[in-house]
Amino acid sequence: MDSKVLLRKKQTNNVKNRRKQIGWLFIAPFAIFFTFVYILPIIYSIYISLFQNKLIGGEVFVGLNNYKELMADEKFWDGVKRVFTYTVIQVPVMLILSMILALALDSLRLYGTKFVRIVSFLPYGVPAIVSTLMWGFMLGTKYGLFKSINKALGTNFNPFAPQWTLVSIAVMATWIYAGYNMLIFYSSLKSVSSDLYEAAQIDGANGMKIVWYIKMPALRGSLVVTIIFSIIGSFQLFNEPQILSKMVSNSGITNYYTPNMYVYNLAFTGSQQGYAAALAIVMAVITIVIAYIVQIRGLRDTMNER
Amino acid sequence: MKFENVGSASDQYKAIDNALQAGTGFPDVAQFEYFAMPYFAVANKLADLSLLGAGDYASDYVDAVWNGVHFNNTLYALPLDYGQVVMFYNQDTFEKAGIAEAPTTWDEYYEAAKKIRALGDDYYISNAAGDIFLIMSLIWQAGGQPFSTDGNSVKVDFSDANTQKALSFWQKMIDEDLVTNAIGNWSDDWNRALNDGTLATQIIGGWMTANLPPRAPDASGNFRVAPMPQWNAGENYSAENGGSTLAILEASEKKEAAFKFVEYITHGDGVRPRVDSNATVPNISILESEEFLNLEDEYYGGQQVNQVIADAAANVRTGWQFPPFFEWMRNDWTDVSMPFFTNGEGDIFEVFANWQQNSIDYGNEQGFTVE
Repeated sequence: MDSKVLLRKKQTNNVKNRRKQIGWLFIAPFAIFFTFVYILPIIYSIYISLFQNKLIGGEVFVGLNNYKELMADEKFWDGVKRVFTYTVIQVPVMLILSMILALALDSLRLYGTKFVRIVSFLPYGVPAIVSTLMWGFMLGTKYGLFKSINKALGTNFNPFAPQWTLVSIAVMATWIYAGYNMLIFYSSLKSVSSDLYEAAQIDGANGMKIVWYIKMPALRGSLVVTIIFSIIGSFQLFNEPQILSKMVSNSGITNYYTPNMYVYNLAFTGSQQGYAAALAIVMAVITIVIAYIVQIRGLRDTMNER
Repeated sequence: MKFENVGSASDQYKAIDNALQAGTGFPDVAQFEYFAMPYFAVANKLADLSLLGAGDYASDYVDAVWNGVHFNNTLYALPLDYGQVVMFYNQDTFEKAGIAEAPTTWDEYYEAAKKIRALGDDYYISNAAGDIFLIMSLIWQAGGQPFSTDGNSVKVDFSDANTQKALSFWQKMIDEDLVTNAIGNWSDDWNRALNDGTLATQIIGGWMTANLPPRAPDASGNFRVAPMPQWNAGENYSAENGGSTLAILEASEKKEAAFKFVEYITHGDGVRPRVDSNATVPNISILESEEFLNLEDEYYGGQQVNQVIADAAANVRTGWQFPPFFEWMRNDWTDVSMPFFTNGEGDIFEVFANWQQNSIDYGNEQGFTVE
């Protein structure tokens, strides 16, 4: 290492500069792509969020007015509160399920692990529209499965009553993503060196101890990743409520049920693109902040561990 | 010529709106529902068709239809199909409930509703109690005129006596649990309920004639078509629900050619195939033709349904106008009506008062002068 540093210091400035230029050339394909696909759209969204679109009068520059209005918009905060509640409950439940599933598959005490692995991952491959339609039929009380269940039990439970709709959506999302997260956990467990298990057995550790002292720490890194993915996914909740609102009446799904639905409806039925852009940006900032906090906390713990 | 189907009505409006904003990729000709046309017209997105000679076709349409393709006294579209409201009723279910004849007034409809409700839990005379187009057609038929537009000033006011009469009636139907909101139009539940006869009537556009058979194949022979029940015995008014127009976008560079296409579809050889495939066209020349009127429809027990359809088209009440931002209003309706129709909070008058206020706020924000 030291010799390398010394070598570099010997080089003349001229060579250094040329090297820098060559370096830029190497990253150019990515940099150009990144600029056009990520940076410019973000800058453009920020730009249009400063305008108000009027049916009469067209675009008017309004400065930060859209943001000011948004802060006082009850519909927006109602949606944010809803996805927040949803995230806080659905994500932990789903990830614990995924983890139990991954640990069970990894324990080698089950038969047909390959089959279970594929079947539990399969829902992730089903398009959201298809899965929502399917769950819509299953949970429907008019003609669906719940009609029979209610009849058999003599109950009158409606999974799509306004107070239960969000729970039903959480069930659908868990069904879709639990297998996906299981696979991430499972791959982490597979990468644990068998030496560790041997050593643990020699030391006389039982199954639970192996889980606690070897497997759980091994899952930590992937846990941070899955939490972040799940939080971002939940905050962007859109497909399921959007489809359900058309499919089931009296479900209580408003146009601003989730922030993403609100953005969509503002931009496309109200022609309020500027306001929608402002909302999207505020939502992105909220999501990034939360994901960042999770990441910092998660990674710090992982660092301490080492 | 290139045809692109970019999805159902409101998806298409979004696609056109986006393409126009981008300045590229928009079509020359587009199909708009009657209530959506003003939205595009007010922002100068549609071409004045009278400049292309469309005014000559006025004599082929009854007043209400012709009125529907005008906005601010300018002709922006030609009618493609129409949604003259009629009543589809399941005669089988009616018989079961002991109703001998189709109700001709709303009072009779109310009495019939009670008998149908008495058949059991799943039986209702109608669904989609919170469907804005259903309620709008009641108001329209009653002679309510809650909207008017003059230049950039728009009126949204549900307080007139006729509108209130229609709302009171509907409130009564909901209060007494005679109509259900648990089944939405276009849902799978809707198909099933129409199919098994538990939904006795549909107060809906004439285009349902072609929509009913595939949705309710088992009910073949059971349904009949009758005029909309009336507010006063002896009257004959209909309303409009659905139907669409063809317009040419102002941004089009080939307006002449585009108009040739519109002419072909709405008046030339393009009309016949549409009639044959069960489109509900509003052309007087079709509606009054013997061939059309005398057609017996097996699905409707051999009834000459077009007699009713044509009569309804001729009697759609005139004077109705949609505001230029109805597309937004219809979206807001979902939110504003939900507390009442879903949770039973408040009443229909409160919902309309809130809706009116929201619409006024939105319209003013959008640069109109709304009262």
